[in-house]
Amino acid sequence: MSKKFCNPFLLAALLLISIAGHAQPKPSFRVEGEVLKPRTLTQDDLLKWKTTEVKGKDRDGKEHVFKGVRLVDVLDSAGVTLGGKLRGENLAKYVLVKAADGYEVIFSLPEIDPEFTSQTVLLAYEVDGHPLAKGEGPFRMVVPSDKKQARWIRELTTIKVVFSKE
Amino acid sequence: MKKRKRPSVWMLATAATTLTVLLSFQTPGPSSQPYTLNYPAYFGGRFTIPENNPMTQEGVALGRMLFYEPRLSGNNRVTCATCHQQKLAFTDGKAFSAGVDGTLTKRSSMSLSNLLWVRNLFWDGRVSGLEAQAVVPLTDPHEMGQSLEASVMKLKADGSYREKFAQAFGSGDITGENLLKALAQFERTLISGDSRYDKYLRGQYQPTAQELRGIELFMTPPSPQRNIRGANCGHCHGTPKTFVELFHNNGLDTLPKDAGREAITGQAIDRGRFRVPTLRNISLTAPYMHDGRFATLTEVLNHYNEHVQPSTTLSPFIAEATNAVDGKSLMLTETEKGDLLVFLQMLTDSAFVNNPDFSNPHFLRSTKP
Repeated sequence: MSKKFCNPFLLAALLLISIAGHAQPKPSFRVEGEVLKPRTLTQDDLLKWKTTEVKGKDRDGKEHVFKGVRLVDVLDSAGVTLGGKLRGENLAKYVLVKAADGYEVIFSLPEIDPEFTSQTVLLAYEVDGHPLAKGEGPFRMVVPSDKKQARWIRELTTIKVVFSKE
Repeated sequence: MKKRKRPSVWMLATAATTLTVLLSFQTPGPSSQPYTLNYPAYFGGRFTIPENNPMTQEGVALGRMLFYEPRLSGNNRVTCATCHQQKLAFTDGKAFSAGVDGTLTKRSSMSLSNLLWVRNLFWDGRVSGLEAQAVVPLTDPHEMGQSLEASVMKLKADGSYREKFAQAFGSGDITGENLLKALAQFERTLISGDSRYDKYLRGQYQPTAQELRGIELFMTPPSPQRNIRGANCGHCHGTPKTFVELFHNNGLDTLPKDAGREAITGQAIDRGRFRVPTLRNISLTAPYMHDGRFATLTEVLNHYNEHVQPSTTLSPFIAEATNAVDGKSLMLTETEKGDLLVFLQMLTDSAFVNNPDFSNPHFLRSTKP
């Protein structure tokens, strides 16, 4: 019953818990959709991976050094059709990336796969040696070859691989 | 009518069960006519109509009856239209609205237009789909305050509804599910796309110089380094729909009284975030913001220009926007604010607020207390 979900005491309790910070889970993002192993990753998980640094000009017009992991490695860890498997119908898949505020952008798999492109799409967690600022991190996409930063999505929460149904 | 032997309770129960099972397969009604949605191409086709609730003329007509039906409320005096009046672009002109028990709602009544394109409804985006949305105000004890079961009982007492449900859904059995489906169908038809701004987009209206300046400012992100002035509204209210489905803290308070989206997601980064609403018919939908704190659009513009309050979750897109090198606020001039106001007035769609298809169909019945 919807009434149960709307119980004001329950809501107040949940709110108090979240404000107190006890139940705040570590910031994470989901990799889901057309993947073999859907996963939830935290920064601790990413720190165990090979790091990559890229230089890119942000909205402020200044060049910064971003550190993180390659998006292709994130997708590969979830079992996405990349490399030799990125052919045939798999070329009709796209990656829908969502932010906490609901902002959404897409990439095609060949834009991310190093067998197709020499650009690096980075899932960054540091800029110029510091963790990403509030409102920007903890995870942000960095696409240095994009002249506009519209796909440098901040507060990244979900990476979903989707088949075009057309 | 021919007199027949009355069916037994057992037979009725069996029939009802069969009907319930059949219901999920037999919508819409066999003789119903499909309803074609007309909308400007620039609104785009990113919307989903549930497969189990296709739009029909009969479903929309029934939904309209129900939208204006006071018997769906606990005291038979409140309808959806009490808080969503057509002449005010389906708002009620109040910061908070009183329900059947006189208690005020927690947030301000939202305008109902172009909901076809909204995927997460309410100020905090807690519900997907208009069918699921409708049940909330209907059953909330502080809004219409009546269970779906009680509403169904009242409607069953009115023979005309039995016929209308049969036409819309292929069965005269009035159910809560079909009640919600019909309301959702009607709400999907509430499309506002005939304002002066639309006529401009279609090449049918030549805006004044001030209107053109307003459009340009509205849609442009400022870049003082490149000498580009802008109000940055388009980041959230861009595209001809004048909203992007985003959740932002727009700097109303340093310590928000209303947690907003955080209460739904449990994430601290969502504190004080609310859904970006449409600005269509914005001149008609005062007062503004989730708590109706601003009585006029001038107050709204002043807020974004000079009164944005810092907080940990303030939208960086608002915090960073400025028209001066190293500026700390938006820094628009009074003339520019006037230009924006003139653009916002272009979004009033008088055809929408006067469309007879959206008006109260119960000609003889007053919905007023």
